[in-house]
Amino acid sequence: MNNKLKILRAMRNWSQAELAERLDVSRQAVNAIETGKYDPSLPLAFKLARLFGMPIEEIFDDGQKGHADD
Amino acid sequence: MTDAETPRPRRPMSPRRRRYWTSLGFAALIGGLIGGWLVVDQPEGRGLTEMLATGSLTPGFAIAAALCWTIGLAIAMILYHRAIDDHEEHAWLWASTAGWYALMFPAPVWWVLHRAGLAPSPDAMLLFLLTLVVNAVVYLWLKFR
Repeated sequence: MNNKLKILRAMRNWSQAELAERLDVSRQAVNAIETGKYDPSLPLAFKLARLFGMPIEEIFDDGQKGHADD
Repeated sequence: MTDAETPRPRRPMSPRRRRYWTSLGFAALIGGLIGGWLVVDQPEGRGLTEMLATGSLTPGFAIAAALCWTIGLAIAMILYHRAIDDHEEHAWLWASTAGWYALMFPAPVWWVLHRAGLAPSPDAMLLFLLTLVVNAVVYLWLKFR
């Protein structure tokens, strides 16, 4: 799954370790999410969305277009 | 000093990270205790292979090591699973699955071949070591790749 985590982090001038601290996860977890090697759980995705102040779907892109009921 | 060079203040360790390092430290302590006692408990002139695999153990050490392993591991695992994050839990679950497969495939094969007289009797510790190695490799790959 693609995501904008690296861009959002860079915009705030945070290191991976700093973002990890704010999320209370390991630096490896942030790196794995940023590089698309690991998709976070829903609770962690919500935590990210709250931290960056935007909806989950603006941070993560599953490559599907339109709404689920389309 | 520019803004980029300004050292950022280190935040205090979060409760989750503290629990994480406590669990690892506790597990290392248990391992160190058992290992240290094993070395001290050996008779003079015993080689490494004898000490680690083939030599006999005193009943006192065997009972204490079994208790330390069972109780210590249970406590360490409870602390560990309460402390790990999403990503590590994912790595742990897949590593455990791979470790299980590393037992599920060879153990029955070895057993039936042994019953047919085609292989020596199954070695539980060898199978355990195989699952441990597979578990560790998969865990480290998923955690640090």
